[in-house]
Amino acid sequence: MGKKDKHNFKTPEGYFDSFNERLMQRLQSEEADEKLSFLPESDGFKTPTAYFEGVEENVLSKLTKKQPKVITLRPYRKYLYGATAVAAALILFFTLNLETESPVAFEDLASAEIDAYLENTELDLSSYELAELVSIEDVALTDVMDAPLESEKILDYLDENIDDIEELNLNFEDYE
Amino acid sequence: MQLIAEEALIDQLKNPETREKAFSVLLNTYKERLYWHIRRIVLNHDDADDVLQNTFIKVYRNIEGFKGDSKLYSWMYRIATNESLTFIKQRSKKSGITDEELKNRMVENLEADIYFEGSEIQMKLQQALATLPDKQKLVFNMKYYQEMKYEEISEVLETSVGALKTSYHLAVKKIEAYIKAD
Repeated sequence: MGKKDKHNFKTPEGYFDSFNERLMQRLQSEEADEKLSFLPESDGFKTPTAYFEGVEENVLSKLTKKQPKVITLRPYRKYLYGATAVAAALILFFTLNLETESPVAFEDLASAEIDAYLENTELDLSSYELAELVSIEDVALTDVMDAPLESEKILDYLDENIDDIEELNLNFEDYE
Repeated sequence: MQLIAEEALIDQLKNPETREKAFSVLLNTYKERLYWHIRRIVLNHDDADDVLQNTFIKVYRNIEGFKGDSKLYSWMYRIATNESLTFIKQRSKKSGITDEELKNRMVENLEADIYFEGSEIQMKLQQALATLPDKQKLVFNMKYYQEMKYEEISEVLETSVGALKTSYHLAVKKIEAYIKAD
């Protein structure tokens, strides 16, 4: 380093002497940028005084609490259930045999009844099961959505469901 | 974040003879961090206390099945996150309202909460957070107010660091727009 550098470039006077200081200043200002000026310093949540001191005791007391013993009340109830089941089976048997009219067809159901059933029953169908029931050609986006999709909603959906959204190379400015 | 020697602690937790003592160490090491994580999801102190206790009870009862594929703290954070989100879902179902309606109600209830400072800007921040999808809200709180590193959040939420940065970026943009709107 003692040798004179073989180039014709120059630096301002004292450039290297003040380099460290300027670098540290820049690092500090970048750290300060991480704190966002429009946000409060604290989000405002507090706990009751000495709350954390009691947590261990509360958890341990819950853990050691024995399950209460279940005592069957009115043991004759099971016979009652049995008798009810037999009676129900008999009624069903006679009703089915006496039924001579034609059975209720799907078309006889009012659409309001079908709607009410679908509204009030948890069908618990997975999206794969639904896809098997309804062919993709029969579905249009407007069947399930009243309003057009907003780009922000699409971005949120992708963010929630795609593992690495950056791989899609989206230009975020288009969505802001 | 890794303040305790995890491997040794896990062994002690799995051994019935040392379990209670090790569990006490675990509880005292993580109770505050898990509490603040839960509190920022369920907002109310009493609810956070319930969820925190349930989280530790689940940790205790399931430690035998902990395979060590992830770090112990990220496993506990995952349990805490799931317990908190399930708590919200169950409550909204019980009340017959949507999760979104419940979240708005939770924010409204903060106004009368004695364990919430409740300045205007703090209230606005909570209103803004209630409009975000769960994941963006989680990432924002974990990064900004819990000061976790992206690598740590990545282990908890099982999402790549790149995707987390995107979520954080989107969350900050939306919060800024919400706060500056009026």
